[in-house]
Amino acid sequence: MTSHSQPSVLWQRRSTRRYNPFLGFFSDYHLGLFVGLSLFYSLEVVLGNKTLKKMVSANVSGDLSSEMEVDAFRRLFPLRYHERFLLDSIRPDARPLGRARDTSLALGAVASADGSALAKIGCTTMLAAVKMEVMTPPKESPDEGSIAIEFYMPPICSPLVRPGRPAEEAPVVSKQLSDTILSSGMINLKELSLVSGKAAWMAYLDIYCLDADGSLFDAALLAAVAAFSHLRIPVVSLNEEGRVVVVSEENEEGKSEKEPVNKGKRKLTLSSLPFSLTCILHKNYILADPTAEEESIMETLVTVVLDSSGQLVSLYKPGGPVLAYASAVQDCIALTRQRVKELKSILNEAISDMEVD
Amino acid sequence: MAGKSAATPSTYSPSPAPKTKRPIFQDVDWVRPDGRGFHQCRPAFLKTGAVNAASGSAYAEFGNTKVIVSVFGPRESKKAMAYSGTGRLNCNVSYTTFAMPIRGQGSDHKGYSSMLHKALEGAIIVESFPKTTVDVFALVLESGGSDLPVVISCASLALADAGIMMYDLVASVSVSCLGKNLVIDPILEEESYQDGSLLITCMPSRNEVTQLTVNGEWSTPRVHEAMQICLEACSKLAKIIRSCLKETASAPKD
Amino acid sequence: MVGLSVGEKHFIQGGIAQDLRTDGRRRLTYRPFNVETGVIPQANGSARVRLGGTDVIASVKAELGKPSPSQPDKGKVNIYVDCSPTAAPMFEGRGGEELSTELSGALQHCLLGGKSGAGAGIDLSSLVVVEGKVCWDLYIDGLVVSSDGNLLDALGAAIKAALTNTGIPKVEVAVGASGDGLPEVDISDDEYLQFDTSGVPVIVTLTKVGRHYIVDATLEEESQMSSAVSVSVSGQGRICGLIKRGGAGLDPSVILDMISVAKHVSEQLMNKLDSEISAAEAFEEES
Repeated sequence: MTSHSQPSVLWQRRSTRRYNPFLGFFSDYHLGLFVGLSLFYSLEVVLGNKTLKKMVSANVSGDLSSEMEVDAFRRLFPLRYHERFLLDSIRPDARPLGRARDTSLALGAVASADGSALAKIGCTTMLAAVKMEVMTPPKESPDEGSIAIEFYMPPICSPLVRPGRPAEEAPVVSKQLSDTILSSGMINLKELSLVSGKAAWMAYLDIYCLDADGSLFDAALLAAVAAFSHLRIPVVSLNEEGRVVVVSEENEEGKSEKEPVNKGKRKLTLSSLPFSLTCILHKNYILADPTAEEESIMETLVTVVLDSSGQLVSLYKPGGPVLAYASAVQDCIALTRQRVKELKSILNEAISDMEVD
Repeated sequence: MAGKSAATPSTYSPSPAPKTKRPIFQDVDWVRPDGRGFHQCRPAFLKTGAVNAASGSAYAEFGNTKVIVSVFGPRESKKAMAYSGTGRLNCNVSYTTFAMPIRGQGSDHKGYSSMLHKALEGAIIVESFPKTTVDVFALVLESGGSDLPVVISCASLALADAGIMMYDLVASVSVSCLGKNLVIDPILEEESYQDGSLLITCMPSRNEVTQLTVNGEWSTPRVHEAMQICLEACSKLAKIIRSCLKETASAPKD
Repeated sequence: MVGLSVGEKHFIQGGIAQDLRTDGRRRLTYRPFNVETGVIPQANGSARVRLGGTDVIASVKAELGKPSPSQPDKGKVNIYVDCSPTAAPMFEGRGGEELSTELSGALQHCLLGGKSGAGAGIDLSSLVVVEGKVCWDLYIDGLVVSSDGNLLDALGAAIKAALTNTGIPKVEVAVGASGDGLPEVDISDDEYLQFDTSGVPVIVTLTKVGRHYIVDATLEEESQMSSAVSVSVSGQGRICGLIKRGGAGLDPSVILDMISVAKHVSEQLMNKLDSEISAAEAFEEES
């Protein structure tokens, strides 16, 4: 048995770190905490690496008790802890308020699916896979296929989920995802037709949350869109019994099998891809792309979905204690517009990376 | 539930049904589908810290078999549980809907869950976390054969990552009996044609077998031979797991 | 669970170390057992095995079904074990569920062989009526009536006895009905096919207590076990399945030693069981 240093695409490209110019190389979570320390005890915003380095060495050298105190404070008074950061327009993980976490995308993570993608936003990880199956289309729409979308939160993703007791959020996110994807018009269901009235594709899109750290919907939608862009529809033909079967490569040369029914239709034309950003509204602050901790403390969430041309697809504000002014919602939309540009380039990069391979 | 029609229509996978023709596996000499030798394992990739929300976690990739294991706890036992002076171990293995070539239901695998429990319980020092439970949850992202051994080995790495006290790392390897040959670390295709299988879970530095299952018809010398092959592979695998742990521990914390 | 005092525990362990167990047996002696066949008239075959205080019933029902597409030339067998709440207080409610699943799994593992069907105790290809269309499905149900240890061996023996007792109705396939649909079959009422059960393995469980291992442990002895190895051995002395229970690890050489001991014990058990089964069958025909 040998150790393998070249894994498949699954965990390879996760460190496309975009450094925070404000903090230099300090984008690590723990150092975010040290920044927090300085905010509490010296009440000064640290600028530049020098001060930080000094602080780190001071902390490592023996100031364990104060570190413990900060940690205790964080647990006991989470809201005050976070609000103290907000005063200085920064967050415990050293992000400015409007910035989303580092995002990476890898296509083709699962070989057993027809299309798949792994999306990571910060620690939140989503694995989406599309499997194509054949169905008889319903009478009302004989030349349209269908898409079934399901979102899962297996027990591995969070300490709150246990086997046999499904997470409460899962069906909510599931519904939001299928509403968004089906209404965005990203996929033309007519393209999923095989033989009018006889056979059509049913695309099963299953999204698994592998690590839950906030903004689940954003990561799930990104993974879903990426999985569809990676989708390659198998070439199929009709056999004698009228069933649709995959044309395997060995058969193609030998016997003159029946003509494939979907030659040249291996890729879906995706138009107006939806991208989303979730923001927290707290007092007058707007925090983009919250972590699980932030979501649990400040409960008012707004999720904006825009398509690639910047049109609004959907907007969710499921209650919450903060009532939003129209201006706040507009600010959220503006942040999302920024984010869509980022996400688009990340997706394009992932697609071109794959094509090079 | 999400499709256009309220009642989901019945669907089928267009992939051809598995052929009944038995490939070359009967013969004495053949080449494995992935070009390995009979006694050669797939390259293993292991990594800790795949899931941040967990106390410890690991990702394992052996060929096409991809598995994530998360460990939670030690944490409060379920309310209904009686008092226990020693810790409890709770295991669960599930598959994604797309793990298999044909789309499944993504349900729990009860058999594997209990096998995982049996394989690990002998290695964990349960006295070190009295009154509490350690949860070991595994998700098979993609099934490429030898799923259970990969889950077990990955779980022991995740337990170590979570800082749960163990007597030794647990490594697990299986062999398939195909015709006259013993094939180690079989892939899905080989498993579906196998005449018998043998799975060993062991703690290599203590030379102790924590779990052993044999399936199909075997003669005693074959069992002997298969165990030998497995144990050798287990100790190699344990070295890989150990080096993976060392790597994590010595990684610069900048 | 068995509540034992420290003294009792020592007594059991000491006895095993000196090759004289609490009930007077040696380490590798079975308790006297008794087989009764045809205990459930509605089933195609049934048997009851009493092994000391352990009492189990196995029944076999045969139904016509469709073979799975991946194995069109084989019938299907389901094994399910139920632990009756009367057997032990801990089986009440859902308490017996876990043990039921474990026993069902172990029996399937020990009797049904590998994926390709090699090493199966039950010859599945004899269950096919029309290849790919019709086959017999065997439903084997085990019931634990009273539990005093060594359930797996007792259930294995009961299933073997029940299969010997099983008669499957002869089936005539109507000619000319071939086509897409299911062929018409005619089930005979008085002609039965007997099963060849000589290939059905017996299960021997070796329980390790202290440094020694014993066969046919009682519930009290099982509470002292560190680990146990169940080996299913066919009449030809080949191993058809093996399962290890209990958390403690074992040295590989100990396991190999246990396998050879289990093989040796299984020969005696097989002979004893065969003679008990034929006696029970003869008795049933007489009455």
